[in-house]
Amino acid sequence: MTKTDFESVVREHQGMVYSIACNFFHNAAIAEEIAQDVFLQLYERRRSVEAGSHCVAWLRRSTVHRCIDTLRRSSFRNEIQVDVLPEIPVDVPATDPFLQERLRRLVASLPETPRAVLVLRFGEDMDAEEIGRTLQMPVRTVWSHLQRATALIREKGARYLEEKEDEPVRTRSS
Amino acid sequence: MSPFEHDLRESLKRREPPQGFAESVLARASAMERPHGHIQFSRWLAVAALVVLMVGGIAASRVIQERRRQADGEKAKEQLIVALRITGSKLRLAHEKFSAIQQRTIELQSQQ
Repeated sequence: MTKTDFESVVREHQGMVYSIACNFFHNAAIAEEIAQDVFLQLYERRRSVEAGSHCVAWLRRSTVHRCIDTLRRSSFRNEIQVDVLPEIPVDVPATDPFLQERLRRLVASLPETPRAVLVLRFGEDMDAEEIGRTLQMPVRTVWSHLQRATALIREKGARYLEEKEDEPVRTRSS
Repeated sequence: MSPFEHDLRESLKRREPPQGFAESVLARASAMERPHGHIQFSRWLAVAALVVLMVGGIAASRVIQERRRQADGEKAKEQLIVALRITGSKLRLAHEKFSAIQQRTIELQSQQ
């Protein structure tokens, strides 16, 4: 990969790399730092990474692994235990304007592996096989993480909606 | 796709990085290039200096050993010459004494 190729790769895939990191941490500053590091790592290894689909796969894999490493190194881990999640999914209506923000927070609070699976599935629209290749895990494990994490997010999202419905309507006293 | 999945997809949709992100990456990449080349050059220079020092050291030690051997040889040669000189003078002395004794014996025999 030449310097010109590298420049076009940065411009073309900056959104992808940044979005994966941003969805993983729900933190723009950390996402930017990780995205920069990933591209600099690519620059260092540009002779061994070919441009094209190989490069895209490399960027996804490196970003996810860097996110996981950063999370493991950081002392702050705001995780939900996946094992305690309920099995009954609840459909949540997509009417709440704050729901998406709530969902982003919930995704960013999952343990590292289901979080990565969810980000790649719904953020990058990757299928289970692609996710398996990226995270180096069997497709069954991907499905398992996906189902459990989705169920947990559904449950937490539904609980949030219930709480919102129960809130009393506050009016300003004259 | 369920409404929930749709919502999740919407929540995690692509976001663009801050303005100037690509420029910042490219600037850092070019900055990385220079020190990298400099470090590589310094590394090669250090290796070359080490090799020169090692070769020089080996050559110098060989020269010193050779000179020491030569000096030892010269010293031994001188000692041998001195020893030969001493031996020569002693032999001459002994020969002179022996000749004198022989002369005296001949004289005594003729007197008798």
